[in-house]
Amino acid sequence: MNKVLKAGLVAGGVMAILAGCSSDEGESGTAGSSGGDSGVIDMWVFGTTGYEKLAEAYMEENPDVEINIQTTEMGDHHNNLFTALSAGQGAPDIAMIEVGEIERYREAQDRFVNLYDLGAGDVQGNYLDWVWNVGGSADGEFQFGLPTDIGPTAMYYRTDVVSEAGYPTDPAELAAEVDTWDKYATFAKDIAEATGKPVVDNAELIFNAKRDQASEHYFNRDNELIVEENAEIREAYDYTVDLINADAVGNMPLWTPEWGQGMAEGSYATLLGPAWMQGVVKGNAPDATEWMITTMPEGAGNWGGSYLTISEESEQQEEAYAFIEWLVSPENQLESFKDMGLFPSTPETYAAEEFNNYSDEYFGGINTAAVFAEAAEQVNDVYKGRNYLLVQGEIMTALNNVLSSGGDPDQEWEDAMERIKQRLERE
Amino acid sequence: MVSNSEKYTEKKARRSLSEEKRHSIAGYLFVSPFFILFAIFGLFPMLFSFYLAFFKWNGLGEMTYNGINNFTIIFNDPIFWKSIYNTVIIGLLGTVPQLIVAFLLAYALNSQVLRFKNTFRVAIFMPYVTSIVAVAILFSIIFNNQSFGLVNSFLGIFGVEPIVFTQSEWGAKIAIAAMIFWRWVGYNTIIYLAGMQSISNDLYEAAKIDGATLTQQLRYITLPMLKPFVLFTVFMGTIGSLQIFTEPLIFFGGNLREEGITVVAYLYRDAFENNFFGTASAVAIVLFVIIMVFSVINLLVTNRLGRGKARKA
Repeated sequence: MNKVLKAGLVAGGVMAILAGCSSDEGESGTAGSSGGDSGVIDMWVFGTTGYEKLAEAYMEENPDVEINIQTTEMGDHHNNLFTALSAGQGAPDIAMIEVGEIERYREAQDRFVNLYDLGAGDVQGNYLDWVWNVGGSADGEFQFGLPTDIGPTAMYYRTDVVSEAGYPTDPAELAAEVDTWDKYATFAKDIAEATGKPVVDNAELIFNAKRDQASEHYFNRDNELIVEENAEIREAYDYTVDLINADAVGNMPLWTPEWGQGMAEGSYATLLGPAWMQGVVKGNAPDATEWMITTMPEGAGNWGGSYLTISEESEQQEEAYAFIEWLVSPENQLESFKDMGLFPSTPETYAAEEFNNYSDEYFGGINTAAVFAEAAEQVNDVYKGRNYLLVQGEIMTALNNVLSSGGDPDQEWEDAMERIKQRLERE
Repeated sequence: MVSNSEKYTEKKARRSLSEEKRHSIAGYLFVSPFFILFAIFGLFPMLFSFYLAFFKWNGLGEMTYNGINNFTIIFNDPIFWKSIYNTVIIGLLGTVPQLIVAFLLAYALNSQVLRFKNTFRVAIFMPYVTSIVAVAILFSIIFNNQSFGLVNSFLGIFGVEPIVFTQSEWGAKIAIAAMIFWRWVGYNTIIYLAGMQSISNDLYEAAKIDGATLTQQLRYITLPMLKPFVLFTVFMGTIGSLQIFTEPLIFFGGNLREEGITVVAYLYRDAFENNFFGTASAVAIVLFVIIMVFSVINLLVTNRLGRGKARKA
């Protein structure tokens, strides 16, 4: 054969192999690829879980199991997982899914293993009911994942700002004095009068705090849009608008530099945030000694947390399940709490000695864990639906218009409802 | 089993490949990597997008045929039209002043009196090399909503109330256009500079002897000779500004508001935030048509200008 032709064929062949790679990936058994038959259990996680350390311990106890954990940034992690599931191959044996993202995967029930089939019913009782339910299908027949940590919300507050307005700085006393949203509104007015500072950092967190105490949010369990008729959500909206009109809401959007700066300087009185916000506060305001934590008026919500799921394509479903059941058991959630501050979803852990003796010097030496444990048991079990973030985004746009551009609240609400309906036609 | 006669014809066919034909096959094989990659990562997604535009699909569930409904939905969405309007306005705000300034900068860099020319050239080109994300983050600090933001504190000197840039109709557009201006002005300057250096010095010398002033030289020599370069930059600028995406996305921090949402950002929101891949594909097709129309207009203008020049000559 002609030499030139030969070289060309080789070049073409190389390209064909390269092109074919995407479909061979699953079988190649390299680190981080799909759950092939290599005996290695692949696990995809995000954030700082500290699960590598626990996996080491598990492998020592079970020498025949090999676990390979791959950590990716949260957004990329979920996109990779979505792509792999959509393509029908390349998903890991175990994948972590954040609670806010889980709705996206509901449609793909056939790509996940029903954990009830692997015996999840036996450990169901270990977890808080609402956490367990969010990780299941609407009818409760299918369980996507085992819950990891959670993010029950409480009221962080600045003792300096609060005392300037004549309120007690002790957590229990303040919680007793501001135990309803009506009292919180009065509290907001007193703060504004005495200090000129807003009671909250932005419209989002106050709205979310009220919203999370509602029994239903934007969609019902049949996935029908109910936000317009839902009086509780409208009440949360109106409550936020009232605070805005009383000049009690700041304009420091989450995660912006001015938000962090406000945390350090005490530009606002309260931060209605979840357990993992403790790390954020410490990071943004390392020198502030004024931050304290107490319970929120009228209950709590949840923000954050994850589920460990097993993909249908995994060839070692039982081994994978055995590992995750062990990983998020009450004992090991206590380990994760001590190690990385992940707040347990297992109420049994709240009774542990280390949990009860816990105290945080940064937050005035109080037992912060106990505050969040109390909050965790008050969270409502709500169904969110897969277009939750779309609806939330439009309501936030309306509230921000009221806050910064002086929009008419009723008109903004109606416009938001219009936009939501327009966009849901695409589903 | 291959029969003898078949073998024979096969052999004959192989022998019948002339030297020339074999060479051309080799040639095609050598260029094939590009075409194979293009087919997989370019052509297939494009065709699939056309196909998807007529379906409802959330990426995981079943695809259902939806006819032209996806197009009806987006055409009935006032925010879609707003996104087209925004794209055009931001494009104009970002490119027109940019090309004028680039021209002036290039003229200055090309002049005889300027010293440290190379330093200036590098300095002016630098913004083009920086990452768009870094630029967008930096500019969101400059155009911060609070009174301590760079622009707002400057305006504050004159007693202007702080502008909420992310929520103001013109504030958002100006902020995004400023990022585009900053990043691309150096690129266009270098192109104009190259154009200016290609103009023969004899023309300027002859003009000087005839007593032409600097302005006259600029108007009658530099500008007409630069026409192809100007057309190129206008062409690139038009297509580039129809695809503005990263700047608004970062500037708004994920919550794409209608004051600054562009067509591509609108598409992104539908596809990757809400997984409405059908309507997103429909938007892609509409955008494709718009870019085609603009390109054809640009081509027609270019051709007409080219003909005009030829006639004069």
